[in-house]
Amino acid sequence: MGGRRVFVSGVGGELGTLIASLLEDESWVGELSGIDADPPRRRLHRTAFHRMHPDEHDRIVETVTKFNPHVLVHVGVWEPDARAAPHVAATLTDQAATSIIGAAAECPALENVIVRSGIEIYGRARGALTRPSESAPIQPTSQWGHTVAGIEHTAALVGERVGVTVGAVRLAPVLGPHVPSPLGRLLRMPAVPFSVLADPPFAVIQDRDAALAIVAAARVGLSEPVNVVAPGAITVLQAARRGRRIPIPLIGRDWRIARAMSHMLGAPIPDHLSEVFHRGRLADNSRMQELLGIVPETKTTDVVDRLYDWPTVIRQPARIQVA
Amino acid sequence: MSSSLGRVINFPARRGTELATSVVSRATSGISAATTRFTAEQTATVDDWGRDPQLVRMITTLSHFRWSVTVGGDQHLKRRKGALVVVNARRFALAPIFSALAISEALDRPVRFVGRPDTAPIGSFSRRLGGLLDHPDEVAGALSAGELVVMGADHDPRLREVGIVDHALVGAAMLSSVPVFPAATASNPMSRNARIEVGSATRPGRKRRGPLAELELADRVRDDIELMLEEMGEMRTGTPLDWLPITAMGGS
Repeated sequence: MGGRRVFVSGVGGELGTLIASLLEDESWVGELSGIDADPPRRRLHRTAFHRMHPDEHDRIVETVTKFNPHVLVHVGVWEPDARAAPHVAATLTDQAATSIIGAAAECPALENVIVRSGIEIYGRARGALTRPSESAPIQPTSQWGHTVAGIEHTAALVGERVGVTVGAVRLAPVLGPHVPSPLGRLLRMPAVPFSVLADPPFAVIQDRDAALAIVAAARVGLSEPVNVVAPGAITVLQAARRGRRIPIPLIGRDWRIARAMSHMLGAPIPDHLSEVFHRGRLADNSRMQELLGIVPETKTTDVVDRLYDWPTVIRQPARIQVA
Repeated sequence: MSSSLGRVINFPARRGTELATSVVSRATSGISAATTRFTAEQTATVDDWGRDPQLVRMITTLSHFRWSVTVGGDQHLKRRKGALVVVNARRFALAPIFSALAISEALDRPVRFVGRPDTAPIGSFSRRLGGLLDHPDEVAGALSAGELVVMGADHDPRLREVGIVDHALVGAAMLSSVPVFPAATASNPMSRNARIEVGSATRPGRKRRGPLAELELADRVRDDIELMLEEMGEMRTGTPLDWLPITAMGGS
């Protein structure tokens, strides 16, 4: 088991960096390598980082095949309006999935692929289950849902073709101090819109819990999907009240104006986030313990409380004033 | 003679004092229990299924204006484990809802009911009260998570008759390996009095390997509820209205 080669795609993102730093402490991990378009967010001691854009297929294939990983951890995904506009995010995610998973398929040592997915994959159509389990039908109703469904589909196809196991970690919306999240950004606005007629509940996951789950999935060689969701739930109104934000009740066409204004103020509301505000987003996390051997450390309400505890700007004066 | 007379005169006064003491003591214990619940529970939260305990408590209090529910047989239901309770229902009686509220109050644990719509605002409000979609997977998920779920049989206008019990939902209970309890409900459109009697768990008749097991269990639950309705007898308002055929046994 020891000395296995692990390749992490999307290692430059906050979640990817966190995963890589956790993998560095794992005894079963031998060599560790990763790629991303941006450099890692913090210093990684054992990880060999390769900076390349998702559309550089040849370089990606060359790098991945040369490394010949046993385990591929694919977290190179772009959530709409997190770091890129929705159409750009979809393109980048698709390019990364195709080139990285495709490249890994060429590696003879490959045994297991772990992909980062999301509970948006279940969709929130009318009549959709309140807390879908992993066996619920995949019926995405948002662009991000379709994107993660596409990643899982690509990985499953490759897994079937080359005979490796594929595990999908379906994360709830990830919140953390440095994670670019449209949900987190909107909840931290001074005024938070909510649907006065619905105000449905949603669940989230702390970034560290998400990273621990992905590392656990790689360790156990996950070969099926698993929902990774913090226990508990909260509504937008409740979250706004906990954060002492001004809740703005909206109904019907008011949302169109709110979306436009929020976009101008730097907190765009993509369709999967709009879905959270109108239909909620929960998932059954009861199989986490069975499949991964861990449970989330932080409850949804605590994650939201921490969201509001982050300082907006930390100003550190220079130790020596030179001017 | 005088001592005897004294006893006769003193008795109602003493009785009155006892009654007053009892009422005060019950009110005090109720307030202290409510205070404990308020301080123990976090404010502004919903549970994993979107049920809002504060709203449920408020609605339960308000529901006392409409229903004064007597719950019997609740000792059959475990305090922690999951179970499916099947009640008889009539149109507009809201039997699953008042049953869920009353059983929740009796057991002091969240109880959910099946049959919320999925459209705002009614669906959202029902979800806050503990409503689940009428879908076997939804019910199976709740039962597997150790929740107590109340579902209604199909509406049946006949007295002491129970409508068809959805075997798919009963199948969800079987799949989750939780017991299915029959419960007879009686309410009256003319009065507040209502009653819920929970029976012992219904056992499947014979071991089946296929879906026949859930069909047979659903039928047995239905039979058990009908039997319990027979045993409950008619509900009386104590008014001439009882002479009319609207006694509404079975929750009208």
